[in-house]
Amino acid sequence: MRRLRIFLSHWQNWLGMIIVLVFAVTALTAPLLSPPNDTTQGAFKKVGRQGDLKPHPPSEIAPLGTVPGQLDVYHALIWGGREAMIFGLSVALGAFMFGSLFGAIAGYAGGVVNNVMMRIADAFLTFPALAGVVFLQQLVAITIESQGGIFWFNNDYIGRLVYFDFTPPPFAVFLMAVDPILISLIIFSWMPFARIVNTMVITLKQTEFIQAGRALGGTPWWIIRRHLLPNSIGPAVVLAARDVGSSVILQATITFIGLGGASAWGILLSLGRNWVIGPGGNLLSAWWVFLPVTIAIVLFGIGWNLIGDGLTEALDPTATLHKWDRPDAS
Amino acid sequence: MPPFLQFLIRRIFAMFVSLVVITMVLYAGVMLTPPEARARLYVPPGKSGDHTASDAFINSLIRQYHLDEPYLVQYGYWAKSLLTGKWGYSPTLRGDVLSELLRRTPATLELSLYSLLLLIPLGLASGLVAGWRPNRWFDGLFRGTAFFGTSMPPFILSMILISVFYVNLGWLAPGRVDVTTDLLMTRIGFVDYTGFLTLDSLLNGRVDIFLIALRHLAMPVFTLSIFHWATLGRITRATVIGQRNKEYIIAARARGVNERALLWRHALRAILAPSLTAIALSAASVVTSIFVVEIIFGLTGVSQVIVISMSGYPDAPAALGFAVYSVLMVIGLMFLLDTIQAVLDPRVRDEVFKT
Repeated sequence: MRRLRIFLSHWQNWLGMIIVLVFAVTALTAPLLSPPNDTTQGAFKKVGRQGDLKPHPPSEIAPLGTVPGQLDVYHALIWGGREAMIFGLSVALGAFMFGSLFGAIAGYAGGVVNNVMMRIADAFLTFPALAGVVFLQQLVAITIESQGGIFWFNNDYIGRLVYFDFTPPPFAVFLMAVDPILISLIIFSWMPFARIVNTMVITLKQTEFIQAGRALGGTPWWIIRRHLLPNSIGPAVVLAARDVGSSVILQATITFIGLGGASAWGILLSLGRNWVIGPGGNLLSAWWVFLPVTIAIVLFGIGWNLIGDGLTEALDPTATLHKWDRPDAS
Repeated sequence: MPPFLQFLIRRIFAMFVSLVVITMVLYAGVMLTPPEARARLYVPPGKSGDHTASDAFINSLIRQYHLDEPYLVQYGYWAKSLLTGKWGYSPTLRGDVLSELLRRTPATLELSLYSLLLLIPLGLASGLVAGWRPNRWFDGLFRGTAFFGTSMPPFILSMILISVFYVNLGWLAPGRVDVTTDLLMTRIGFVDYTGFLTLDSLLNGRVDIFLIALRHLAMPVFTLSIFHWATLGRITRATVIGQRNKEYIIAARARGVNERALLWRHALRAILAPSLTAIALSAASVVTSIFVVEIIFGLTGVSQVIVISMSGYPDAPAALGFAVYSVLMVIGLMFLLDTIQAVLDPRVRDEVFKT
């Protein structure tokens, strides 16, 4: 419990937990905070004429104003937060599970297998996520077209148009249902998990209790699942916490630059990007088009990072409660 | 053989292995699609591979490029076409993928070079000074700024910068050059020596164009630098805190070495390796943010290739070529950082000279 006490002795960790908790609560209570109606599409609620391209200030029907196209900022903020939370947790969980398993299997096998598997993990480190995101979307596109469909990328934030002049084959339906951004972010963020768990497993393998497990006649899979993984995932959990924040920010970035993805926060920012400077050259005259969503994205990242940093420090065996001499915790 | 050459050869071999592994993974991704879809990678200019293409045409492509053979055979053929410079024809760019990528490379290199030259020395120096005396005023200032730098997503920062410094104040500008400058350059017979606009303008003896180029580069370089400066600085600071009470520092201090020399000679060398390794390990994310910044500021660098390929009908050759090219960029960056580290860090250098 000493680690927990170290964790709780820093105000930064409390701040991180409070921020994440607020996001979690709004995600869970989104249907109550901003009930959807028949104009709702995804995270967006129309509260006026779509042709009206002037953002309107906060009012009765739109508590945080509207962006061009008369979409309610408040609604998109709440529901976008819900989507972001689901997205971030899915990426972190997927990368965490795949990476830990990969690292554990490689470490348990040891020798040449370990070397080859970890070289593959290293090779993935040379791949920029942005190239992977585009590559995967293009692969999905040509596959759908080879099934007889017509595919069209739309960089004006609708995403993509897929058209079949017959009933789409099940494979194409499946491809249209998965989110290529989610998959590619998992593919490009599992390597640190593999590396950390791998190091732990190689150290643990030599200990008596694993030898005992083997002497009892345990299968490799049983030993990995029952003994190695539970004892080595601690540091990986820390990475997962940071991954939640960074993957949501990356998704918003990709949507913002028009390379796919459906981050509601990213769409909201890109719709309002021409109104950051309002009429008269005043930075704050149309503050609602960018300030609330900017704060939401930044806080989301900060919250998870604070928790990640705090956990790293608490898990560090040399960590103390003493404030002097401690590595960066901010 | 000189030891440094040996080091270089070893690094180059390691890079080559990484490249082979990652291209194999890439092609394994391609292999998940049916052969009819893979044929889209080889559609020649002037032809279309979509639903209007005849089965006979697609089948002839499959046969011609061995698309129904086992994975390793296909990978071999594809690797051979990569090495011989046949990266496919991109229908959206209307050109050969490799030459379209190469044409846009100088703009990307210019941006990355200035950003790295700015952020690496600044990151190391500020992290060093902040960590040497933690909790003093400079440390507080550093931690505040670095916290802002790592928390502010680059795309939001660049959106705000464009609005303030371009739309409102008009001091700086996005894009590579504006139309008038472009016309002026054509009229005076501007010669492209390096493709770097800042260098070329000086070589052409035109200080005015040099200033215009700087005006366009300022915002992207700042956005790119501040984020990675903050990351590098925080790693450096944490390392220095771990090093500053080590025996070798105390021994040097007891010998009467003054504080400034301790910091800039003794401590600096010790923190170079961990800090530069940290940047090298995140080289892929550095390259991703270079692309993001390029796209937002409308610099016509290599990332323009994916922007165009994602704005209409599917264009898999461009995406595949871009993926290979960006992997090459990351590997190049890692190699550069490794070499800098080997030249500067006495421990790495000694290890190199021993072998």
